[in-house]
Amino acid sequence: MTENRLQSKQGAYTLENPSKHTLEAPRFSCSLAGAYGTTLGIRGGIPILHSGAGCGVGQLFGTLYAGGQGAGGNEGGTSTPCSCLVEDHVIFGGEKKLRNLIQSTTEIFNGELFVVISGCVPSLIGDDVDAVVNEFRDKVPIVHVNAPGFSGNSYEGYELFFEAIIDQLLTEKPKKKKLVNIFGVVPYNHVFWKGELPTVKKLLANIGVEANIIFTEENGLSNIQQIPAAEYNIVLSPWNGHRIVKKLEKQFGTPFITFPSVPVGAKQTGEFLRTVAEKLKVPSKKVEEVIAREENWTYRYMEYPGDAIILVRPHSYFAVAADSNTAIGITKFLTNEIGYLPDIVQITDNPPEEYQEIIAKEILDNIDTVVKPEIVFESDTYKIRKNLEDRPFQFLFSSSLEAPTAMEDFGALHITTAFPVFNKSVLVHNYAGYDGGLRLVEDVVSSFVGPL
Amino acid sequence: MSPDKKSPDEAIDLSKNTCPNREHRAHGTNVYYGKASQLLKDAKEGNVKCSERKFQQSGGCVLNFYLSNRVTTIRDAVVIFNAPVGCSAGALGYRELFRGVPVELGRPAQYNVNWLTTNLQQNDVVYGAGQKLKETILEAERRYSPKAIFILTSCTTGIIGEDIEGSVNGVQPQVKAKIVPIHCEGVRSRLVQTGYDAFWHAVLKYLVREPQEKQEDLINVASMLSYTWQDRLEIKRLLGKVGLRVNFIPEFATVEQFEQLSEAALTAPICPTYTDYISRGLKKKYGVPYFLYPSPTGITNTDGWLREIGKYTGKEDEIEELIAEEHQTWVPKMEAIQEEFLKLRKDGEKVRILGSLGQGRLVNQLPFFDELGLQAPAAMSQDFDDLLIDQLDDIVEKMGDFDIMVNTFQAAEQANVTTNLDPDLTLTCPFQGGTWERDNNVTRIHSLRGDSDPWSAQSGYAGAVAFGNFLLQSFKNKSYQKTLSEKTPRSYKDWWYEQPDPLYYLEKGK
Repeated sequence: MTENRLQSKQGAYTLENPSKHTLEAPRFSCSLAGAYGTTLGIRGGIPILHSGAGCGVGQLFGTLYAGGQGAGGNEGGTSTPCSCLVEDHVIFGGEKKLRNLIQSTTEIFNGELFVVISGCVPSLIGDDVDAVVNEFRDKVPIVHVNAPGFSGNSYEGYELFFEAIIDQLLTEKPKKKKLVNIFGVVPYNHVFWKGELPTVKKLLANIGVEANIIFTEENGLSNIQQIPAAEYNIVLSPWNGHRIVKKLEKQFGTPFITFPSVPVGAKQTGEFLRTVAEKLKVPSKKVEEVIAREENWTYRYMEYPGDAIILVRPHSYFAVAADSNTAIGITKFLTNEIGYLPDIVQITDNPPEEYQEIIAKEILDNIDTVVKPEIVFESDTYKIRKNLEDRPFQFLFSSSLEAPTAMEDFGALHITTAFPVFNKSVLVHNYAGYDGGLRLVEDVVSSFVGPL
Repeated sequence: MSPDKKSPDEAIDLSKNTCPNREHRAHGTNVYYGKASQLLKDAKEGNVKCSERKFQQSGGCVLNFYLSNRVTTIRDAVVIFNAPVGCSAGALGYRELFRGVPVELGRPAQYNVNWLTTNLQQNDVVYGAGQKLKETILEAERRYSPKAIFILTSCTTGIIGEDIEGSVNGVQPQVKAKIVPIHCEGVRSRLVQTGYDAFWHAVLKYLVREPQEKQEDLINVASMLSYTWQDRLEIKRLLGKVGLRVNFIPEFATVEQFEQLSEAALTAPICPTYTDYISRGLKKKYGVPYFLYPSPTGITNTDGWLREIGKYTGKEDEIEELIAEEHQTWVPKMEAIQEEFLKLRKDGEKVRILGSLGQGRLVNQLPFFDELGLQAPAAMSQDFDDLLIDQLDDIVEKMGDFDIMVNTFQAAEQANVTTNLDPDLTLTCPFQGGTWERDNNVTRIHSLRGDSDPWSAQSGYAGAVAFGNFLLQSFKNKSYQKTLSEKTPRSYKDWWYEQPDPLYYLEKGK
């Protein structure tokens, strides 16, 4: 039970090995799933799975529905081209099948960018997928992402996707002033991605910075192609996307700025804007005007639920079980803006060992309370639940896995905030920026209010 | 059936680790478009086969169509996916799936199901994962003391040649739970239905016990994932009225319910293609009788289904009384629905409806559509094999010839057929992405197990009326489909929709 866990009591924590063994209901899928979800996040991106026939359908349930009830759309789920490998191919190789599939997919699909994603089977049987994909490079924009499921989890798939894009598609572009790329928000696995990314874009536009958010927008391919033109790369995660921006720095000389999460609420957002403005030489007067205006508006709104918060559930203990980004952003907001007390924060996305201390410190050093939460790195749902037993928390911020039983198991109100999310349809809902913080307040207060 | 073919019963050999593939046991295919009569002729001559498609879409595999989400609903058991982490991701909804059913409707209040993955990594692929599987089994036992531990296999364990039985036999003496290995390697078969058979093979081999006493009032009903909680209640209600009890398997069943399959009076289907292997296996090993057709879909089929049950349980008279009594309630309601559909007719033509799912539904639903006064310009079926030749023959004889499309979730082929046939109503499977973006009526063909609303019922008399009304409702507002079809780009290039052959990309002559 302890083999795999980072112990931490009252701010002291020790690191243990990230989970590599048996897991119960882990809150992520495999690297193929990550590359697949990332491709589907790009408009005009057509995934071509070189895999067994079930990988697309499996991820329809396990990634798309699980990421806030996304249907597959025109290119997802059972619409996804797939080589559907069976024993014949295991014996004779799947290259011919893949060649036919790429050819036919480019004929039939309305698409801009074709992304061949290799799963477990071609990797095990040794197909030369690069060679087959190379045959199509002068015909259509195409990349090959080698992402066998046993190579890592969904978050790894996001990195693999962009590494393939950088190596196989991008070319040098003249730098464009005040243009930044946004990385670190993984489609579907960060369930609020559809709302967070446009929010970040609008925030930056307010201070005169243009953000290339790559996902959700029209012209997916040209967004990708302009990645090398950015003046800076911005990462909104303590670890996702870090490999990507280091590679981009090496390849195209683009410097990067990292943030521990998508900024949630006024305090984090103000800090985010000031940091970006300083790097990109936006006059501070302009930034301070934007921040003052937004804060004025935000905190007037924050007063409305004041009676509900202070009369009904003031200074409540809360528990979090979420991926690193989500956990950091909401823990800081709940603590620093509505005065709640962090009891335990469980990080579920299995960040590499070298990032674990940074993640724990980011929370422990930046919360404005004498209460220091226990920080646990845990991907195993059984252990996550064991760690929640007999604790004082009244709110549980986690995936929908705990939604049906949070009250009976832990006596806690449940707010669905992290992957997997089956019990909410997530379109524009998100906790980023000024109004995002207010939305988090709405979700928290709505979980307990009634007639006073 | 040609005489040189072995009976499907003979192919069930429980000394083997698993079942034969559907391709071999019943000459199944997932590719066909043409006249039903031709398909039947080919099947009788042994000429039905699987061919490669040059364009194919992710249609589900032996593991990730049925098993990954559903075996995880079995109570007092633990499921272990011996696989990389992605193969199990579909099971993440396992708790919520069933928690939506209110306890008041009969869902057990204590409902905790659990699954683990061996989370295979690069190292395991190189050095083997037998030890890891053993440790995971021991961990499952430690955590939950389950009655059974189901092991699901994957492409990876299949290709690297893991000896699952070896690992299981090695660890079974240390474990109280019955360990049940299921061979559902994704690459083993083109037909997802092989997954049903692989599961039932394991159930027959490892879980079903020698009968301790015959339970003459117990009917095994293997329900399929796409039937609802209300369907269970309806079946329970009908059989309850003649003093029979239902043993619903496998979803939400207890391990005890599997153990006592051998003691039942009869195995009755609500989806024959799904029930086939367990029904034949129980007959062969324990003498439990079964029938495969009809299923309780529509008034006439429900009558027939009940009469079959009456025959095997010696309750013919009670069943006739039940049918007469039920007709008084439900037949007038069905007639009212038929009237409504009559009013929808244009130019005296019958309302045209397209959609089916699985050959089990195909053979049961076409007569039901006919009963409603609807016409199906073609039938779509996930699969086709020898198992239901006689039933399909019977339908062609009664209803005349029709076009049939066989594919497992091939969205492009279905988009083509749907565009070309332009039915008044398309019944879509919910997993088909853009196919609901149509400027004509679209609704779902089936609903999911967690749905406990009477509105979603499809089985028995109550289900026939509910589904009839459900279909009528879809004619009353098509703004979502219509708007999206106008405002969003189409999935495929225009030539695809205009092209007359939905099997354009079939590798012919193979």
